[in-house]
Amino acid sequence: MLTIDNLHARVEGKDILKGLSLSVAAGEVHAIMGPNGSGKSTLGHILAGRPGYEVTAGSVTFAGEDLLAMDTEERARAGVFLAFQYPVEIPGVSNMEFLKASVDAVREHRGEEPLDAVTFMKKAREACKVASLDQAFLKRGVNEGFSGGEKKRNELLQMLLLEPRLGILDETDSGLDIDALQVVAEGVNSLRGADRSFILVTHYQRLLNYIQPDKVHVLAGGRIVRSGDASLALHLEDKGYAWLEDEVA
Amino acid sequence: MGSSMHDTLAAAAAAAPGWLAPARDAARQAWAETPLPTRKTEQWKYTSIAPLEQDFGPGRPVELDAATVDALLPDIGALRLVFVNGHFAPALSSGELPEGLELVRFAEADDSQAARIREHLGSALPEAGHPFATLNGAALGDGLFLAIAPGASIREPLQLAWLTAGDGQAFTVTPRLLLLAGENSCLSVVEHFADAGGSAPSFSNAVTELLLAPGATVNHYRLNLEQGRALHIGGVHARLERDATLNGFCLGLGADLKRLDLVVTLAGPGAHAELDGIYLPRGDEHVDYHTCLEHAVPHCTSMETFRGVIGDRARAVFNGRIHIHPQAQKTRAELSNKNLLTSADAEVNSKPELEIYADDVQCAHGATVAQLDALSLHYLRSRGVSREEAQVMLSFGFVNEVLESARLEPLRDALRPLLARRFARDPSLMRHLA
Amino acid sequence: MSQEVIDERIGKEYAAGFVTDIESDTLPPGLDEDVIRFISAKKGEPEWLLEWRLEAYRGWLEMATPEWAHVHYPPIDYNAISYYSSPKSFEDKPKSLDEVDPELLEVYEKLGIPLHEQEMLAGVAVDAVFDSVSVATTFRSKLAEAGVIFCSISEAVHEYPELVKKYLGSVVPRRDNFYAALNSAVFTDGSFVYIPKGVRCPMELSTYFRINEANTGQFERTLIVADEGSHVSYLEGCTAPMRDENQLHAAVVELVALDDAEIKYSTVQNWYPGDTEGRGGIYNFVTKRGVAHTNAKISWTQVETGSAVTWKYPSCVLRGDNSVGEFYSVALTNNLQQADTGTKMIHLGRNTRSTIISKGISAGRSSNAYRGLVRMSPRAEGARNYTQCDSLLIGDACAAHTFPYIESRNPSAVVEHEATTSKVSDDQLYLCQQRGLDAEKAVSMIVNGFCKEVFRELPMEFAVEAGKLLEVSLEGSVG
Ligand SMILES: Nc1ncnc2c1ncn2[C@@H]1O[C@H](COP(=O)(O)OP(=O)(O)O)[C@@H](O)[C@H]1O
Ligand SMILES: [Mg+2]
Repeated sequence: MLTIDNLHARVEGKDILKGLSLSVAAGEVHAIMGPNGSGKSTLGHILAGRPGYEVTAGSVTFAGEDLLAMDTEERARAGVFLAFQYPVEIPGVSNMEFLKASVDAVREHRGEEPLDAVTFMKKAREACKVASLDQAFLKRGVNEGFSGGEKKRNELLQMLLLEPRLGILDETDSGLDIDALQVVAEGVNSLRGADRSFILVTHYQRLLNYIQPDKVHVLAGGRIVRSGDASLALHLEDKGYAWLEDEVA
Repeated sequence: MGSSMHDTLAAAAAAAPGWLAPARDAARQAWAETPLPTRKTEQWKYTSIAPLEQDFGPGRPVELDAATVDALLPDIGALRLVFVNGHFAPALSSGELPEGLELVRFAEADDSQAARIREHLGSALPEAGHPFATLNGAALGDGLFLAIAPGASIREPLQLAWLTAGDGQAFTVTPRLLLLAGENSCLSVVEHFADAGGSAPSFSNAVTELLLAPGATVNHYRLNLEQGRALHIGGVHARLERDATLNGFCLGLGADLKRLDLVVTLAGPGAHAELDGIYLPRGDEHVDYHTCLEHAVPHCTSMETFRGVIGDRARAVFNGRIHIHPQAQKTRAELSNKNLLTSADAEVNSKPELEIYADDVQCAHGATVAQLDALSLHYLRSRGVSREEAQVMLSFGFVNEVLESARLEPLRDALRPLLARRFARDPSLMRHLA
Repeated sequence: MSQEVIDERIGKEYAAGFVTDIESDTLPPGLDEDVIRFISAKKGEPEWLLEWRLEAYRGWLEMATPEWAHVHYPPIDYNAISYYSSPKSFEDKPKSLDEVDPELLEVYEKLGIPLHEQEMLAGVAVDAVFDSVSVATTFRSKLAEAGVIFCSISEAVHEYPELVKKYLGSVVPRRDNFYAALNSAVFTDGSFVYIPKGVRCPMELSTYFRINEANTGQFERTLIVADEGSHVSYLEGCTAPMRDENQLHAAVVELVALDDAEIKYSTVQNWYPGDTEGRGGIYNFVTKRGVAHTNAKISWTQVETGSAVTWKYPSCVLRGDNSVGEFYSVALTNNLQQADTGTKMIHLGRNTRSTIISKGISAGRSSNAYRGLVRMSPRAEGARNYTQCDSLLIGDACAAHTFPYIESRNPSAVVEHEATTSKVSDDQLYLCQQRGLDAEKAVSMIVNGFCKEVFRELPMEFAVEAGKLLEVSLEGSVG
């Protein structure tokens, strides 16, 4: 599904990713952990195509295609979804308008008809239930005045509606209480399937209690310094990142 | 303004009731002594009145069919009065006068109404005069008098449509509205200016006076939807007594020349004014909003938000003055003006002003000129929305935020598609909006 | 604090208000072409400069006094002013400080401006302009080693005619405005600075201006040219004696920052502000402007506490790509002082940046206006401006105004303007008083905090002076 090979990337003249390689097969869930500032969000933005994030070397193949050659919206339509660590507020544009525009764009790309208003509303309501967001949030401006937890759940809502092939969740669990954490986990689990993969960026092992990862990676100093199975996360929880310092250097 | 101005004034005089003559003659005298503003006049620094340099004759009645009018005026479930080229068009008007609302044309006023009109007409205008308010007075033929009974809370909004329709020759129209809101009364008025087309240029010189008695609340909407050669120089002058509230909302599309002066005098303690506006010139259009909040007494508040999106080769001017008089302690006044330039040939001139003569006040203003937020654009695109559609959505969102403050829901619903259309040349780009 | 106490405190004496008794060579009042010829001849100027002055004068005759500023004063009779006053002892200009009239040196000492090089521990080179004539420029030899030219403009006309001819009027044209035209016609002296390519001026340069003679106008002209890649910091201080009549000060300052150069220009303006009833004081009508070429930077910092009427807009023309303009201002008015001051940032080049921080403090019955223009020209791709204007009101009889003009014709330029006006909050005062400070000290502290962003832009010696000046200017006006 996704193959990242020797990726080097730079933000505002600063080298952040320094030879990152990672392979995620269809249907797999990978967790990425690592100290603050190690480049986890940068990786997500590079995959999503954020302007200003410059790839200086390496390649990314998504479903057999050169992901880096695609525009931001083309990537989204091809099925790459990034749940932002810091979701953006867009006052004046309602959440509903935003969601409908996204869903229609993705459907159109797949050669599907746009949903009629009634069907869309129905789907949106159902997704709201799964994301445990009151329907009133559909009418409000995108993320406008939402609490931190509500913003994260709004990201989940979008993911549920867009049904991506690769979901990248950038610390979607940070700042959530245990109930909200379960909501996010259930949402992800409900989407899991043979044809869909996930990258979970997280600081906490606890999310992985609810979403069983196939692999766990440690990102430090712009590279994957250690990979393992779910037990690696437990080990990290226990020991922190200090014991990996040799690898980082 | 060409020589035919004389004919226009004469025609107006012929139509007007005799008791208006003294006021009109005084205005005419003042007009004769008023120098026309030039680009050197501070208040007209960025707006040229050169488009007025042609012969405008008097506006003549023109028959419009109902379908044309319905296309111009959204149905907001309101009592509707339609004027075409300044002439009342009963066939196009609809609805019943609710209890507590008194409404009469100057020409048909009875003695008591005439007395009240004479007493109040011009009382909300600035003492120093405004050249085009003076011209309106000088050309005054007919006008509309509206009085809300004390304590009356009128549920359905009142829609006043001032339409122009060309009939071959350039013409001028001089609408005038005088509204007296009685104590603790409440009303929503939508003034809707639009052009029904036709071959000739027109010049509307519309003046509205709003007099709010203590405790009155008026929601006033001023929609200036004329475009192209339908020129407009107009003013809204409001005076608020103790605890009165004015919620003003303006929407201006551009025209060859469009200039609005909105002057609100907070004359009684506890008065509160909110003034919001949107301007959206494009093509070669010009739009100029001059607002002024006169805080004349203590304990008043005002909040003002104007936003504009300026495209193509269009020009926008915003001048927002807050004037705190020496006695006006405990004033709170805020103003925000934000602009988006969407083309390399567009231009905006913004001038928020604070003029403060009292010390115990909290005043602030902010003005920005910028482009669409790059991160928001990215967020939309990362969800699969095309760049073009994302730009339309964000431009719309930028002004829709102001529209959301308009209290009249049917009006908001009616205006949303109009705003969206302004940004989306390709209709598919606005399919998710409004 | 009671009104009486306030009134009494406001009556604080102007500390720099002594008159010096020096015999001077003063032209009788009046202005015509002959007066200009006299000035030019007196200074032994070349023909081109006389012509330049006369051209300016002819332009001036056709111009009207600007009336748009928010200041009010009786019309000025330009024929009642004397356009030349030179201390007699300088008929033959001193060659060194030893030859300077000791009485004059004493004046500067009273002002706290040491002219003797041995006292110049601070390492600041000083040019002192007394009435219309430059008195002494210190540290010249040390500067000369670095190739820096720092002298009076009269000298520069003789010694560096090519530089003067090339740059004089290149930033502020002769007919730029009424006062600039007048200055161009009759300017008598001022400072000239040239920093050669790539040179970092080894010390702060400083000019002190003093108007002494009655009925004289002061029309100094300053020209600073920073050649490519050079750097200079320049300070200017101004004082004048207490007199009942108003005196006119119409200066022009031109700054040229060539590619990659940086000029920092700081002013502490403390001209006599007039008395508590508004009698006397300086009319300070000044045109200051700089042109910044590619990657150059011009930074204006001003602390304005003096003058009866101030009309002053130090501006930056950001001509070169990536050039930077800054304006940091504290303007304090008290009693019946009036100030209309601010800046213009004209963005012509790509990616030009400007910052405006303006702090206005109004006390007494004064009036204090910020007036600023930010213009983004069609070529100013990616240009940015940030403006913050705050006004503080002290007492209920003063006025504070903010008149920003924003003109943008480039869709990629960003302009952000914010302004606030309020009084010293009762809560702040209460807090300070509760911690044992008296009201006056508390206000002084709050005002200093209010101005901090500007003070930190000043060179160290000036920052201290500026803080004290505010304290003195405000004494008693708080309650
Ligand atoms: N927009 C940006 N501009 C400059 N530096 C950035 C930017 N975004 C991230 N960085 C820097 O890149 C590094 C990696 O950041 P990030 O990917 O957010 O780390 P993580 O998500 O692992 O905490 C940090 O040092 C951060 O300061
Ligand atoms: Mg991160």
